Amino acid sequence: MRLYIHPIPVRIWHWTNALGFVLMILSGMQIRYVGLIDVVSFRTAVHVHNFVGFVLIANFCLWLAFYLTSDRIRAYHSELNLKKHFIGSFRQAYYYAFGIFRGDPNPFTPTVYRKFNPLQSMIYQIIMMLLFPVQIYTGILLWDVKRFAAQVDFFGGVRVIDTVHVLIFIAFVFYILVHVYLGTLGHTRTAHFKAMMTGYEDVEDETPAE
Amino acid sequence: MGPISDSGSAKILPALLKNGFAVAAIAASLTLLPVGAFAAEPAPSAADQACLGCHGVAGMEKKLTDGDTLQLLVPPAPYLKSVHGANGCTSCHADVDIAKHPPEKNDIASKRSFSTAMTQVCRACHADKFDQWQNSIHAALVRAGNPAAPVCTDCHNPHAVIKGAAAEVDQVPCKNCHADIYTAYLGSMHAKSRLGSKDSYAPVCSGCHTAHDVKPVATSAIGLGPEQACFGCHAGTLEKHQEWLPNAALHFEAISCPACHVPNARRKVDLMLIDSKGKARGTEQIGVPLFDASASSDGKGIDAQSLWRLMQTLNKSGIAGETVLRGRLDVTTGPQAHQLADKSKALSDCATCHRKGSQAFQSVTISLVGPDGRRVGYGANADVLNSPFSVDSVRGFYAIGGTRIWILDILLALAIFGGVSIAVGHVFLGWMFKRFGLYHPHNGHGHPSAGGDDAPKPAA
Repeated sequence: MRLYIHPIPVRIWHWTNALGFVLMILSGMQIRYVGLIDVVSFRTAVHVHNFVGFVLIANFCLWLAFYLTSDRIRAYHSELNLKKHFIGSFRQAYYYAFGIFRGDPNPFTPTVYRKFNPLQSMIYQIIMMLLFPVQIYTGILLWDVKRFAAQVDFFGGVRVIDTVHVLIFIAFVFYILVHVYLGTLGHTRTAHFKAMMTGYEDVEDETPAE
Repeated sequence: MGPISDSGSAKILPALLKNGFAVAAIAASLTLLPVGAFAAEPAPSAADQACLGCHGVAGMEKKLTDGDTLQLLVPPAPYLKSVHGANGCTSCHADVDIAKHPPEKNDIASKRSFSTAMTQVCRACHADKFDQWQNSIHAALVRAGNPAAPVCTDCHNPHAVIKGAAAEVDQVPCKNCHADIYTAYLGSMHAKSRLGSKDSYAPVCSGCHTAHDVKPVATSAIGLGPEQACFGCHAGTLEKHQEWLPNAALHFEAISCPACHVPNARRKVDLMLIDSKGKARGTEQIGVPLFDASASSDGKGIDAQSLWRLMQTLNKSGIAGETVLRGRLDVTTGPQAHQLADKSKALSDCATCHRKGSQAFQSVTISLVGPDGRRVGYGANADVLNSPFSVDSVRGFYAIGGTRIWILDILLALAIFGGVSIAVGHVFLGWMFKRFGLYHPHNGHGHPSAGGDDAPKPAA
């Protein structure tokens, strides 16, 4: 059965975000590691980083506006049951860590309004509601430190702001690597990637065992 | 320290009033020098002729108590051309009782004591300049007992002072003490411009340091940026830098102009202890022993952990308000600061500083302001800028790449290694399970193909 679980605004946001993240990571590495990486000049990398950063902020606003005005927001909090959520997360983690190798069925089957498994739901909420906004905020402060000097000083100074920005950057580098790999764990290697392009995901008709 | 003692003026000024008329009357009756001797210069008054009759002749000198010799010669021609020539000798030397001159006994301890006392005479007419000088680094050093710190007559020869002479490149009095800086200045764009055109308004020493309220440029710029020294002439500089330099305003705050505009200079980071209002902490507030105790014995200065402990101590010791470190990249020596080059040669390659191991961050000092207004610097180990402790102790200074914290580099390496390892390890485990027959697909949602091929998995 094919389910239309990725509406067009989400797909535009996702691929813009994906390209933006890659550019931000690459330009960020160039900025931080001049001498070790010399693909483009420091100044060019800064300009790319700043430009793409603002594109990502606009993209984040698009994502937020879509979900705030759409019933698809239920994908992020389909059921506010912490106990059930943690049990589901544990099952999903167990599946990825062990069950998948034995050929166990995936404990989660997506639906139109519940497309994230419990692990995804938790990780995406942490990223989109905490890490990404903090990264945007610290990025804006670093974009013009003097303009936002009062806020920079309030949080302890430019080095503190930068350290937070870099720590989240490191977390995103790890996330991107794992995210792309997990994307290959559909019923085929490319199934999830195709779904994120067409909007349609192939799912089993039968209800999975709980 | 109080102001310079005016005990000298207590003797000199009343004498001026008491003896002025007598001196003039007696001197007027004397014609010891022929008027023709001053034919090329403004004619001296009769009183001045009387003085110059003796003091205009070579060989006039006086033995001082300290064994030194004070020259009493006043060459007539320069004196009469000087701005003081029209005033007459007695306008300054009112303490001379012409009836008893030369006195049988007039002990002068030293040249220094004499010239210091005479500052009060200058003050009588130049009160505004004297007050400015009182606030200068020079006066602070005089009060501190520095015998080389200049008083009025060390810069201005009172018997030959010409208006505007001190603003001529080859006549600035500063070169007498600051010869190395003057030599460096002569090679700068400022001196070349000044010497190359009469219409040039490029600065001599006083253009940046002021003429009497002399302060080190770097000190006067604390909390204000370098605009006092440079922006007075170079208006619109920030806007021009903003056209190509990201975070230009931050660069202006954290980097001195010479750090980039003297391309071959050696640079250092000065971490100044400031309070929450941006005012520099003084040694009297912090206590020098605290720094001495923190400095490592290996001669490399305060290390990162010691600095962190020091900052913790300072912020617990009851000093009013929070104490933080504000960093500023500067050149290492005064002469280097004056070798300003043509702007086409200024550093504009970001990679000069924004790379690990940049020379700019290998030399670090931690400084306070001493009682005389000068900085008191303590050497610090370069690791204070890139240690994990710096997140807390050196919060206000950071140069991307150049002072990056090494532990974050390790974390990034671990993140990349971990992310790749998870993928590779997962694929490998999937392959192993299949290889040893442990993979048995069950009926269920599309089975992932860890370790398998790209073909759809059949439902069991």
